Amino acid sequence: MKITKIILSFVSALAILLSSSVTSFAKVVGDKIILGSAISLTGKYSSNGVHTQNGYNMAVDRINSMGGVKVGGKTYKFEIIYYDDESNPKRAAQLAERLISQDGVQFMLGPYSSGLTKAIAPVTEKYGVPMVEANGASRSLFTKGYKYLFAVLAPANLYLDVAIRTAVELNGGKGVRIAQAFEQDAFSQDVRLGILDAAKETGSEIIIDDKLPKELNDMAATLVKVKQMKPDVLVVSGHTKGALTAIRQIAEMKVDVPMLAMTHCDAAKLSKQHGKNSQYALCASQWHKTLTYKDDFFKDGMTYAADFTNEFGYDPPYQAAESSAALLVFKDAFERANSFDQKKVRDALAATNMQTFYGNIKFAPGGQNVDKPMVLFQVMCDGAGKCENKVVAPLKWASAELIHPVPKWSER
Amino acid sequence: MNKNLILYAAILFFGITAPFIFPAFKVQLSILCILIVLALTWNIQGGEMGYNTFGNILFYGLGMYLCASVQVGMFFPLAEWTESGGEKTFVHTPAQFFQGMAVGLVVAAVIPTIVAGLIGYAILGLRGHYFAICTLGLGVAAGEISGGIEIIGAGQGFTTPPFPDVGGLESRGEFFYFLSFGVLVLTFIAVRAIYSTRFKLILNAIRDNEDKAEAMGIQTMKYKIIGWMISAFFCGLAGGIMGGLVGYIDSTDVAFDGREMGVFMVLMAILGGKGTLWGPVIGATVFHIFKEGFWTFFLGWQYVALGVLIVVIVIYFPEGIMGWLREKFPERFGETIDEKDRKAQVELK
Repeated sequence: MKITKIILSFVSALAILLSSSVTSFAKVVGDKIILGSAISLTGKYSSNGVHTQNGYNMAVDRINSMGGVKVGGKTYKFEIIYYDDESNPKRAAQLAERLISQDGVQFMLGPYSSGLTKAIAPVTEKYGVPMVEANGASRSLFTKGYKYLFAVLAPANLYLDVAIRTAVELNGGKGVRIAQAFEQDAFSQDVRLGILDAAKETGSEIIIDDKLPKELNDMAATLVKVKQMKPDVLVVSGHTKGALTAIRQIAEMKVDVPMLAMTHCDAAKLSKQHGKNSQYALCASQWHKTLTYKDDFFKDGMTYAADFTNEFGYDPPYQAAESSAALLVFKDAFERANSFDQKKVRDALAATNMQTFYGNIKFAPGGQNVDKPMVLFQVMCDGAGKCENKVVAPLKWASAELIHPVPKWSER
Repeated sequence: MNKNLILYAAILFFGITAPFIFPAFKVQLSILCILIVLALTWNIQGGEMGYNTFGNILFYGLGMYLCASVQVGMFFPLAEWTESGGEKTFVHTPAQFFQGMAVGLVVAAVIPTIVAGLIGYAILGLRGHYFAICTLGLGVAAGEISGGIEIIGAGQGFTTPPFPDVGGLESRGEFFYFLSFGVLVLTFIAVRAIYSTRFKLILNAIRDNEDKAEAMGIQTMKYKIIGWMISAFFCGLAGGIMGGLVGYIDSTDVAFDGREMGVFMVLMAILGGKGTLWGPVIGATVFHIFKEGFWTFFLGWQYVALGVLIVVIVIYFPEGIMGWLREKFPERFGETIDEKDRKAQVELK
């Protein structure tokens, strides 16, 4: 058969193509420390992926312009190789493999979301590549015994724990009736587990427990139930889309609930997008610009927020702040290890104990940050309809008092 | 025949040496093997039988979950493994890992085959667009259902057992590469064998005119179901391997990934030329190389580039690469052209 020849030449062409594309970078080239990261630039996490990338880039520029990283008496600069993981765990795992085995990256920054971090962690672990991640909060990441995974953020089950406890406190210590709806993904399901724990401890009752699909655009069915059952607290978590959908439909359907607790309000720019409709929503946050933490690079939260807005044109959500903090952690660890040996850097990371503008950072043996509590803010609007996020809990940083219960729609 | 043997020997040689020639590309090469398996099996329905299915992703995802569940469940309580708040860490010994994988792959192949038989019995009576849409629903439904089953991790996802500490760093990549390459060889041999029998002619008869085929006394339903079961067998195997390779199973993004894998398998077969033996192989290879290239050079725009590629294919190569080659070089496909007759026709016009 003549077709044989065609296929033979095709196979050899393929071989030539593949072999010519093998390029390998070392992790440290000249005066550059090359970090790798798979980020969601497209797909359902793309907006948070971009926040993460902006956070990384801002910290890289800042550290490089303020003297870089000093290791062994020489000054190095950070550089990051990015790939787009399309918000897909399968893709993320492949890209981690590619960054490490093809691009020769020896230090990684995390992706956005728990699911993607879960997909990447086994790969970095296998190669012994230290990864500092800022956006994977699922508790199950920290119970697998990973040695090379370090998260600068508090685990997901703590996100809305404070909200439930506050509601119980305001109810005179008696349990409350909770309605909850969570997206079917690793992060939101972990937030749910946290609520279940809190409910158990406070003697609260869960009266609605719904699962929402990914690519969340509609949760009317849950809200109809909420209208009927009149719970004390409504908890919703589903990344940026979840927050936007919840506020849009709660306002449309005029659902009255004394407390509405959510995640991802600032990433969704809720107060800007929905204005007064988002008023009184309680949001769990890893960070808020008014917190009083300090460091040498970004000074404090307010300065960071101003610089960030200057550069990217919008207020930094906590996803950006924690991503910037990841670079500060890496810099600190490199300098303390005074080496690029992966094991030494890993040990230095494990011994991290520092303060950044984003909060204190100290890792538990599982890799999660145990030195930084979550904060809760509430969307508050003035008469002119200008809305702002104000911290209401914990009391140490509160800049406003919690408004509870939320006024009924008919009275607004 | 001799030349064929040389070709197969060359490909086999390339396949076996590839992970050593391109050590950094082992994962991509393994995925390429899986993609070819999916395209080859899709071609049985879409190409030879004329039934455009989007449902093969169901068997792929099923195989993935089954293989991982068996691998874990044989040695540890599955529910505790997938429970996210669990503080326990289970570790497979090398023997447990490989035994689990072996049994898991058998289950991952057999159960989807049975499922294909049952579902096929129910829905293969549908024809044309109705069948396509029905199968599209199957994949979506499976994704949503599996996302609600706690024991396989539900929305949390399922972390498959990590590769045990045997051999060097390279051993995991090599293991999965040779496993997927083995399945590819198996699939190719099976498909080639099927295509050389009367079975293929029956499938073609169904594609060309099902009613006529029935009128000729062919029990079309039986052959349609058997064809689908064959596809399911290999799709399940491919899924099982892919689960281990990725290391993390998510219901809609990794397992029942109809939006990507489900569409890719159709695309690859059409790109290469459906209804041919080599078309899906070439289509999958070209597709994979382009895709990886786009991901590197058009960061953030890779799907736009891929979209342009698809448009170009549809406009310029509607019959796929094999179809185009066949038109350009018919003599290489063993077709002879009667020059006299051709000229006569040209002059007539």
